[in-house]
Amino acid sequence: MQEVAVIGCGVTKFGHHWEKDQEDLLVEAVYEAVNDASVELKDIEAVWCGTFYPSTGISGNVFSDTLKFFGKPITRAENYCATGMDNIRNAAFAVASGAYDLVIAAGVEKLMDAGSRGLPPIEGIFSVGMPYVSAPGMFAMAANRAFKEWGWTREDLAMVAVKNHYNGARHPKAHFRKEITVEKVLKAPMVAYPLGVFDCSAVSDGAAAVVLTRPEIAKEIVGDNYAVIKAVGMAVETMHPWHRPSESFLSFPATVKAAKMAYRMAGIEDPRRDLDFGIVHDCFTITELINYQDMQLCKPGEGAELIRDGVTSIDGDFPINPDGGLKSFGHPIAASGVRMVAELTKQVLGKAEGLQVKDAEAGFAHNLGGPYSVATVAIVSRP
Amino acid sequence: MASISGCSVYLPVWKLKRDEISKETGMPSLGGERAVAHWDEDSLTMAVEAARSLEGNFDAVIFASTSPPFRIKQCASFVASALDLDSSVFTMDITDTMRAGTDALITANEFVDSGRFSRVLVVAADCIPAKPGTLYEQLYGDAAAAIVVEKDGGAKILGYSTSTMPLPGSWMLANDDTVRDYDMRVDARYGYATGIQQAAMPLFAKLGLSPADIDRIVASAPDPKSYEGLLKVVGARPEEFYFGNIGIAGTAHPLILLASQLEKTGRIILGGYGEGADVIAIEIEETQESNIGRMLENRKDISYGDYMFNRGFVGIRDAPDRPSLTKVWRDEKSIIRFYGMKCRNCGTVSYPISRCCIECGTKDDYEEVRLGDRGRIYTFTIDYLVMPGNYTGDGVHPHCVVVVDMDGGGRVLLEMTDVLRDFSGIECDVEVERTFRLLFEKNNFRYYGWKARLPR
Repeated sequence: MQEVAVIGCGVTKFGHHWEKDQEDLLVEAVYEAVNDASVELKDIEAVWCGTFYPSTGISGNVFSDTLKFFGKPITRAENYCATGMDNIRNAAFAVASGAYDLVIAAGVEKLMDAGSRGLPPIEGIFSVGMPYVSAPGMFAMAANRAFKEWGWTREDLAMVAVKNHYNGARHPKAHFRKEITVEKVLKAPMVAYPLGVFDCSAVSDGAAAVVLTRPEIAKEIVGDNYAVIKAVGMAVETMHPWHRPSESFLSFPATVKAAKMAYRMAGIEDPRRDLDFGIVHDCFTITELINYQDMQLCKPGEGAELIRDGVTSIDGDFPINPDGGLKSFGHPIAASGVRMVAELTKQVLGKAEGLQVKDAEAGFAHNLGGPYSVATVAIVSRP
Repeated sequence: MASISGCSVYLPVWKLKRDEISKETGMPSLGGERAVAHWDEDSLTMAVEAARSLEGNFDAVIFASTSPPFRIKQCASFVASALDLDSSVFTMDITDTMRAGTDALITANEFVDSGRFSRVLVVAADCIPAKPGTLYEQLYGDAAAAIVVEKDGGAKILGYSTSTMPLPGSWMLANDDTVRDYDMRVDARYGYATGIQQAAMPLFAKLGLSPADIDRIVASAPDPKSYEGLLKVVGARPEEFYFGNIGIAGTAHPLILLASQLEKTGRIILGGYGEGADVIAIEIEETQESNIGRMLENRKDISYGDYMFNRGFVGIRDAPDRPSLTKVWRDEKSIIRFYGMKCRNCGTVSYPISRCCIECGTKDDYEEVRLGDRGRIYTFTIDYLVMPGNYTGDGVHPHCVVVVDMDGGGRVLLEMTDVLRDFSGIECDVEVERTFRLLFEKNNFRYYGWKARLPR
């Protein structure tokens, strides 16, 4: 694909923003992004702004009314937890096509107002005869099968949480900034067996925005101070994996296909060799381990070895989630994918103070949504 | 006259010690234990469970209960649908009286005897709601029994007769939540033995029989003492009454007694009591095995607190979904009849029925197939954010869901039922069987469907 430049990033602190609503968060992220890009909001030609829950906002009005940004094309895209990165994908392709020169991709989510434990339930997505499963429940089913198939243990999962909390503790905008121990993870209350509280990503409020343009325009505006999106792959699978007989629960086909697509678009043959680090959708600890495999960082069944051997630690051979991941940074659904691309940009520009990956020139970001049904993978590098 | 060719009893997985009830409520204990339905069971689901183990087709279904879940809406049609019977099947409910079980048996006999129907399913079930701390809480038990009536069978119905006497008995007004508590001595003293005997006399005369020609007498009763009293009066030996391990199972009780009697040959009198009595003479020529022993064995003790949860007195239930009733009707074949599809292109069996195959996408080229009764757990979880039945989690009663590969193909996500907090035995690759249950209550409607349980 035609490379697209990221020239500005804005991310609010993720967390429990009881005193703020989605308007406060989106205004903060968008103004931070346009200031970072040295452009003015009025120069933006089109916007893609994601929200997952309709309670956060629907339609282009979620952006227009918040920023009083009227009279221009705005699209609200929703695609489960991949909402954020899908908005980036649409915005990037619009810029790459030449239809617009300067656009914003943003995502915002206000989860705490829903007043529920875990994610608020979604009405009507399950068929009538089917039992309801919470998000951790969906991924716990993968964990139980992986335990059976590969002998992985709760300790393996706990190490993912420990690693990501270690990283997140060093990020000023992360939701949970506290290191934890394997013992603490194992002793935490159960959420969906075998996943305990610390196996689950944070339920957070937050917003993120990026300003996109083409590289030749980026140079004029910010000089060399930009990153490029080299690829965005995406795949949508079934939202009823439990009804598809071929589903192994040991791999998420949407990720496999989105990764292959992105690697091909970016000319990557071996991600361990051609890329320096990655940000994966660690909605749950088990998800991160399976993501290692699906992103082709190792063979099936070897995911746990990567965490045991420290390969994915921030100072390891291939750091994963140097920002703390969804686990510790927080997961305001639609904001997450946008934040990940902002984080990649910071890393490849060498601006990830305190959690900079050594020699980070190129990395990937990955979102996985629904019952492993929607995945997006973006490749971001120095120009 | 017709014959009885099959029988089946269903007991819920839970049993509650009456001493435990006594300890919690202060009511003197009647001893033994009573059968307790799981929270997702009612007389309709228990009826389906009892009838499911009977083989073959039926052209009529008669459902009997004093506790049908609907005041307007037939249960027999639900039963027929869950059993995947043809839409031409005749269905009817007989309700409101404890005598409904034997009334249904008599009706089935007439249907077959007249040649109108050839094979009739009689299924009686009760789950009578009783207030905590009342006598009825200890008296009643939740259970179901199904009987097959057709021309030929191992047990011949010789004849029947009835008596009618409107005594107070037990009752519920149209909008009552629980059964009314009243002095039962009037029934015991003037109603029960008298009613049975009044009904029996013309039957003996009609059949030319004397009490000496009868081998055994079983009859449902308002309480176990009344049954013993009756047998003392007529000079017969008391048979197993199942009060010590089930309780009085309402309309199902006489059919449970019948099912246990079918295990021995001989000539019996079967009585059903309620506002008078039905008396049926049956000649058992060939014994029929009943599943009551197995049902009694495969049960678990329940605490009084969990019994209160099952009864809806403890815990908050609020389903987040608002499923369309139109959709329930449209998808009946998958939801109630449990059909999946077999793709003619790739051969995949999948669930539910949908127009395009989940594996190869082939459009509109499949046959509808009913999925198996058993399967193996591919994977599972115990979800503490959701309560059984899609209700918002209380953290105490987690929601166990299993992905099951059904025998014969098809993979289905099912709620694991008959569990409250003990999930031992639920693992990958373990065998489960499906069971018909209440999924949840929403829109003031009860949504039914299939769940999984460890095989009983």
